[in-house]
Amino acid sequence: MSVLIFSIHWQVMVVLLPLAGAIACFLWPRRGVMLALVCALGTTLSVAGLSWLVVVEGAQRYTVGGWGAPLGIDLYVDGLSLLMLIVTSVVGVAISVYANGYFERSRARAFWPLWLFLWGALNALFLSADIFNLYITLELLGLAAVTLVALAKGAQPLSSAMRYLLVTLLGSLLFLLGVALLYHSSGSVDIAILAERLSASPVVWIALGLMVVGLLLKTALFPLHFWLPQAHASAPAPVSALLSALVVKASFYILIRLWLEIFPPNNFVLGQLLGLLGAAALLWGNLQALRQTRLKMLIAYSTVAQLGYLFLAFPLANIIGWTGALYMLLSHAIAKAAMFMAAGNILRFGGHDSIADLDRIVQRLPLTVTTFALAGVSIMGLPPSGGFVAKWLLLEAAIRSAQWWWGVVLVLGGLLSAVWIFKVVGYAFTPSPVPHEVRAVPASMEWSALALALTAIALGLFSSWPLALMMVGLPFGEGGGS
Amino acid sequence: MTLLPLIFDGVLGFTLLWLAWQLLGSPDLFRAIVLFIAFGLLMALIWVRLDAPDVALAEAAIGAGLTGALLLAALARLGPPSETASLDNQGDRASVAEGGGLPFRRWLVALHLVLACGLGYAVMSLPSAAPGLSDAVANSLALSGVSNPVTAVLLNFRAYDTLLEMGVLLLALLAVWSLGSTPDAPPDDQPVGGVLALLARLLTPLLLLVAGYLLWVGGRAPGGAFQAGSVLGAAGVLLVLAGWRLGRRFAQLPLRIMLVAGLVLFMAVGLFVMLVGGDFLTYPHASAGGLILLIEAAATLSIGMILAALFLGIRPDSRADQ
Amino acid sequence: MTFFLFFALVGIGLFTLGLYAVIVHPHLLRKILAVNVMGSGVFLLLVALAKRSDSVDPVPHAMVITGIVVAISATALAVILMLRVKGETGRVKLPETPQE
Repeated sequence: MSVLIFSIHWQVMVVLLPLAGAIACFLWPRRGVMLALVCALGTTLSVAGLSWLVVVEGAQRYTVGGWGAPLGIDLYVDGLSLLMLIVTSVVGVAISVYANGYFERSRARAFWPLWLFLWGALNALFLSADIFNLYITLELLGLAAVTLVALAKGAQPLSSAMRYLLVTLLGSLLFLLGVALLYHSSGSVDIAILAERLSASPVVWIALGLMVVGLLLKTALFPLHFWLPQAHASAPAPVSALLSALVVKASFYILIRLWLEIFPPNNFVLGQLLGLLGAAALLWGNLQALRQTRLKMLIAYSTVAQLGYLFLAFPLANIIGWTGALYMLLSHAIAKAAMFMAAGNILRFGGHDSIADLDRIVQRLPLTVTTFALAGVSIMGLPPSGGFVAKWLLLEAAIRSAQWWWGVVLVLGGLLSAVWIFKVVGYAFTPSPVPHEVRAVPASMEWSALALALTAIALGLFSSWPLALMMVGLPFGEGGGS
Repeated sequence: MTLLPLIFDGVLGFTLLWLAWQLLGSPDLFRAIVLFIAFGLLMALIWVRLDAPDVALAEAAIGAGLTGALLLAALARLGPPSETASLDNQGDRASVAEGGGLPFRRWLVALHLVLACGLGYAVMSLPSAAPGLSDAVANSLALSGVSNPVTAVLLNFRAYDTLLEMGVLLLALLAVWSLGSTPDAPPDDQPVGGVLALLARLLTPLLLLVAGYLLWVGGRAPGGAFQAGSVLGAAGVLLVLAGWRLGRRFAQLPLRIMLVAGLVLFMAVGLFVMLVGGDFLTYPHASAGGLILLIEAAATLSIGMILAALFLGIRPDSRADQ
Repeated sequence: MTFFLFFALVGIGLFTLGLYAVIVHPHLLRKILAVNVMGSGVFLLLVALAKRSDSVDPVPHAMVITGIVVAISATALAVILMLRVKGETGRVKLPETPQE
């Protein structure tokens, strides 16, 4: 049994299974659902196999084509990338179940292959140890995400998809220019080799600057977030969920990888700058969320805010800060996916997502309201939830590195998000004077959302395992950060 | 003695910049696209000058030819140019007004000048001689199964990139088909000009021949799957323009199988060599040449079909569905 | 200055021009053209600098061929989206403010 597990090249399976699934769904669209669900299951099992391998044997380097860097391309998996793969699988399975109920036949035909392509792109991205290869996965990811946004009908989704496409292409080109400069100054595109060869020279700083700006554009860090709220809000609900949960995190993952591995050590100013932008995102996003009248817009602005937390780790630059940010990434991915799915249920049920008219859904969709509230608990960072653990870690890191003001920002952000969450839940509990026309919501849509919300809570109760996993292969170095 | 090439390079470079400036600033979109095609052809010349004949072929066929055709077709579908141009200009003025007007643009220009200077400084400060990976490629070339180093990189050393890139191409087609059926797509039964039909009839066999040649020769000389595929795609575009469409029965599963054949075969070969006992995409040295040719043949077919389908823009079987 | 450095600088010029145009011009077709020009600039830089030694480095060449194929894929998607935006809104530009 264990021989079998170690002899299968799980890294390859994790990338190829979704791609093969996408092709199969394209060839036989009538069987799309079945093929996609089988692939989702297979991919998840492969991630599980890979996890076993990594937990038992430590970080793995895999040479595609047998050449090895710098000539060939390497795949590299450590605790950090494994964690991203696992989050993707958890959210991915839930979204697959949800989407099965959400899409009617004509749009399902388009959705399944695109979604599996996106999943494959995410997995390839998390495994890649080669910055040019990362560029291709970024493009694959971007094109799939844009098309999924445009699957929603109407003028607004199309306009926001178009804007999203231009932004993501711009981000990729900035990244590629950085890759070109790094290749020509070091003769390699492998991250580990770059880490050895690069020293703090002007070319390296300019190249890294270009890459950071490109990635920030894709991650939608304030003030480069202008494209996100509309794109995430106007997409179909399962797509909103996977955009907010996974797609923006992918470019953040690359950023964190570059920062930890190849950035020259004297990057204090840049770290403070990223932290400041993160704090601004946190406050601005939450304030904007408060002003929104439509539920999905509100949740999208909350994504802008929550992305801010991730950047607080850069100025803190210690191992607790990094684990805190990653834990935030993990719990936000799961909670936000649940929240968007709940919003999709409400939209389906009442035909609108105007916050002021959310009354009466409590009696009719108790599971969905529970989902929203539980996800809200994690997003606010109340115990016991993943969000709480993450904020606790970040707070501890702020105190340890004697930068208490980041802790103030952290608490303020949590308070602001509490205000809008209670506002929404409050409306939902107001008895309605007017009867609405309603449409049934499939059970699979309600339960998959609830399962994710419960997972987000469980992350607060069982935090030791994911935290231990992050440390495999010491992605944050011995002392952590720089 | 070195004056002539110097002048030649200078003219090439500055003409390229001038073309870019013109095509981005020209108020007439048709003219802009024509200039873009000229820009692509000039790029191809520069690739030759930089000893990159493989890139030159790809640029001429894809960068200038197919992208240009795609954009011209898009412009035709956008409707009468006068209307769009006036809308464009109105919008232009509006955005200048909203964006803070002239001061905003001045800041933007200044910012871009700083960026350009910074980048220029970065390039100038690079070491003047660096072999990159040319030695590593040269040392392993004998084991790669082909003697054209670019093909060796594309299909052996960095084959995984190429595999994912085939995925990007297929994904683009999926995307275009999912979003397709534009309200004013050109009608299928438009009258076909006699000259165009004649041209298609004359050129298609020639293009097929060229594609076959490029595919065959790609192992040892400039050429390969992408160049051959794009020539095949050009033939497809020509046929589409001449009014030729796939038969309804063929436009279903058989077409889709041909579209994915390149990627599927690529993945299958990669997995097969893994089962034989190696890492993914590690060809045995003895059979590497044959495997690469096999992959390239399927890739050429798929690339050509996908490029032509991207140009067509809508699912060929969309009518059968309704 | 050697000629490949000159072409690398031309590449930077193209990149910057394209970046400026993509920000300034509201018409979507021109934004698409501008993104393509930016891409060409990066490709030119990548290949020009590969000529710094006597034996030409083929790896950037392969990267650029990959990049050209990615560029046409993105362009095809952008074109179809542009046509759909035109079909839905009647205009070939994005709404000015992304606010509600």
